[in-house]
Amino acid sequence: MIGMTVVPQDQKAHLNDLLSKLVMMLHSRLQSLGRRRTLVFAVLSVLAIVSFLAVSKLVKRYSEQERALARHMYAQGQADQQTGRPDLALEDYRAALLYDRDNSQYQLSLARALRDSGRTEEAETYLLKLWEANPQDGAVNLALGRLYARRGSIENALHYYHNAIYGTWPGNADKVRNDAEFELVEFLLKANAAPQAQAELISFAAARPADTAIQLRIANLFMQAQDYEHALVRFREVLSQDPRNALAAAGAGEAAFALGRYRHAESYLRIAAILNPQDEQIRELLQTTGMMLESDPFMRGISDAERTRRIRAAYTQAGSRLDSCAKQQGIDLQQASASPAPASDLVSLHNRWIDIKPKMKNPAVAAVEEENGNSVISLVGSIEQETATLCGPPTGMDKVLLLISQEPASSDTGADK
Amino acid sequence: MIDTPMQESIQNNESTYEERFFLVLAVFIGIFSGLAVVCFRLAIDWTRVGLLGPAPQAHDWRLLFVPAVVSLFLAALVIHVFPAARDSGVSQTKSALYIYNGFIPFRTAIGKFICAAVAIGAGHSLGPEDPSLQIGAAIASGLGRRMQLSRDKLRLLAPVGAAAGLAAAFNAPISAVLFVIEEVIGRWSAGVLGSVVLSAISSVVVMRWFLGSQPLFRIPPVAFEGPVELIAYALLGFAGGLAAVIFAKSIGYFRPRLRALPGWTQYLQPAVAGLLIGLIGYFGAPQVMGAGYQYMDEAMHGQFTWQFLAILAGLKIIATVLSFISRTPGGMFAPTLFIGAMLGGAVGGIEHHFYPHLTGSVATYALVGMGVLFAGFLRVPLTSVFMVLEVSGNYSIIVPVIVANTIAYVLSRSLQPVPIFDLLARQDGLALPNLEEQRDESVLRVEDAMQSPDDVVLNAEETVAAANLMLEKSSADVFLVRLSPTGWSSVSRKLLMQWMGEGKGEMTLGSALPTGRLPHLHPDYPLEMALRYVYQTPLVPVVNRADFRKLEGVISSEAVLAKYHVVSR
Repeated sequence: MIGMTVVPQDQKAHLNDLLSKLVMMLHSRLQSLGRRRTLVFAVLSVLAIVSFLAVSKLVKRYSEQERALARHMYAQGQADQQTGRPDLALEDYRAALLYDRDNSQYQLSLARALRDSGRTEEAETYLLKLWEANPQDGAVNLALGRLYARRGSIENALHYYHNAIYGTWPGNADKVRNDAEFELVEFLLKANAAPQAQAELISFAAARPADTAIQLRIANLFMQAQDYEHALVRFREVLSQDPRNALAAAGAGEAAFALGRYRHAESYLRIAAILNPQDEQIRELLQTTGMMLESDPFMRGISDAERTRRIRAAYTQAGSRLDSCAKQQGIDLQQASASPAPASDLVSLHNRWIDIKPKMKNPAVAAVEEENGNSVISLVGSIEQETATLCGPPTGMDKVLLLISQEPASSDTGADK
Repeated sequence: MIDTPMQESIQNNESTYEERFFLVLAVFIGIFSGLAVVCFRLAIDWTRVGLLGPAPQAHDWRLLFVPAVVSLFLAALVIHVFPAARDSGVSQTKSALYIYNGFIPFRTAIGKFICAAVAIGAGHSLGPEDPSLQIGAAIASGLGRRMQLSRDKLRLLAPVGAAAGLAAAFNAPISAVLFVIEEVIGRWSAGVLGSVVLSAISSVVVMRWFLGSQPLFRIPPVAFEGPVELIAYALLGFAGGLAAVIFAKSIGYFRPRLRALPGWTQYLQPAVAGLLIGLIGYFGAPQVMGAGYQYMDEAMHGQFTWQFLAILAGLKIIATVLSFISRTPGGMFAPTLFIGAMLGGAVGGIEHHFYPHLTGSVATYALVGMGVLFAGFLRVPLTSVFMVLEVSGNYSIIVPVIVANTIAYVLSRSLQPVPIFDLLARQDGLALPNLEEQRDESVLRVEDAMQSPDDVVLNAEETVAAANLMLEKSSADVFLVRLSPTGWSSVSRKLLMQWMGEGKGEMTLGSALPTGRLPHLHPDYPLEMALRYVYQTPLVPVVNRADFRKLEGVISSEAVLAKYHVVSR
């Protein structure tokens, strides 16, 4: 809007004069006011600086006090956690975080306390938050891995355990990485994920230095994963570095035994028995191995006569085991065999045993060979299995026969036989 | 007015000087407010640690007795030493702006500082933002008085300080500026906006300098995946609106009743409220005591079940109502955020329970819940949206925030027509302007009162004689003259006839008329603006904005008054 009114010339001059005086007066007043204000601003500036310094001191003291409180609460939390009270510990950690909320150590401890007190969802949220802030942090990844392991989530656990193993750690990183790797394998084995455990162990064994304690632990885990081949390699590796390592010798013996390599097993177990004569388990396994070597009819390098003798001995032993088990079960095998329909598996096995008896009694070796050693050993195996089910685990020669019947192929193919 | 070059120059200098001065002053206000708020926060924390211990937990005997005993002392202090420290700082700042010409005694700031720090530190369910706002306003008012500012400027300083105090307390300058404009000033004024922004930023810079830049609570990643989930957020808006109404109505109902009790009970009311809040804390929910920011943080990180979140929301409403109606010094911002976060988390948890495929995390719901309560209870819809965005630093959730906040706001308005701050002011006998109503008021415009320009328009090119012929066809006493190339003037019937008598019939109107032009208006101008001109000239032209020669209508003082008369009837 444009507002203009018409004013006569004489009045205009008068007004201009008046206004000029007024403006001059205002101007001088403004100047004096300006000087006053400048002074006040200067005072305010000084006051602001002094206040800044004073508040800085206050804040510094406050921060120190906060940190001290945080440390106190954290220590209390750790004490609670060590005494098995994660519920109390997590309250302490929360209080510690109240005063030092960006402290990752406190945050991690809180997450662990949450996890230990069964509040896995809260722990997960917390840990994921920490992970987002620092995805490389080994401790956070390990805590997450453990959390998912506790939940049985193999995929997530693997992901975070791997992150932990390859993540950043303060101090002695190798030790915590190895521990994390072992923890992961143990979790996988417990979760019946043997293939993943084997894969982890293979890469772990290849990546780690030749430390005998670690190699021994890896070998034992291979044994748990039933990967006897890799276990044997690891045990041998340890023995090559430390030939007097009783544990490695025993492990190698067990692995070789599981692989059906009884001669190797016997030699490792002999060493183990010498190095550790008090170990009953080794002696027992050594004894079993010896019996295997003496009784296995499929062993290479034995004569036909010896093979026949072993098959006959197995047949006879199985018959004795069948009789004793039937008696234990209160079954009269002679009478039961006479009935047209066999009353139990024992009777049926007895009938099969009786059927081949004439040929087994035949002194001619050809008769046994004709009967086919495999089928005899198969019958022996069936008898040993059935009697084991009904009358308890076999011992001595019966145990050996059960093992032979279970591994005819390996017994047959063993390179060291 | 006649403007001489010298006068214009000095006027311009004066205006620029005043503006610059005001801006510099705003920075100082921000600095001092920031420093005060930092000290205030330290005072609250020290008091809390001293009175309730570093980590108050349920079944701690201190929770039972400390709030009650401290409140007895506090009541005496407030009644005898700092009576102005009670009640809402927002209402008091508005009172300063609209009633006391921007005057807030510095004693009020000291009282707020001490009493609110003690009250919040002792476990009363109140927040530090409202007192911070008033402390900032009081500092601004004090500085303004020292500077001998004019009454107008002094009035404007209170909101400038309020924005600084709130910004430092919230660590959120945009929200603080918006809140002050939306709730305290009520309008966007270019004159004050720059100062408000400067003071808010200065105070936040100071606060961050000392206490770090981290927000009041850490916000986990929040996301909004699909539009179908808006239904879930709409439900949250509905729940939040209802909670806000319950919260506001409880305060509105109980506050005057407690005030009506005998005077001696004023000494006991805060103590009884403290005892009841202490009982809530002692028996399992210490989270409701104090401002509760760390628990909002924990809620957003999924550390509570939805059932517990719902319980906390309900208990916090009760605790805050108790603290506030007993007139214990402290504010309602933090409790509002707390209730919103817990309610949001609870609603999110329930929705996840029944619809597990929903992607929004508890943190997202808690965050939206904060905005919902802000919009529903404090009735600041714009601030509520920006507050959530500023606090979260995440703009992806703007759609759910707007949807939920709008629902809560509309629901709250329909069930509780008077906003909480106006309600409090009315209960205190103060007639402060209702800014929400003001915003909604329909404005009378020039187009509502203007009349048709038929038969009153002449052209400057017409001769006086031709114009005299028009007189016979029209009954009007005054005619508008369209000047060339643009502009308007007017001529009366009497003057035209006089010119004819003087023999000026062949002169054009343009040459006969004195120099000078009429002011003009546009149809969309507020009608009040017409009042400035209708007494200078009988007819004011109302012209088209795109073509100033095109007359849309004319307006006269009679027409303006007639319109107001009709409206008032």
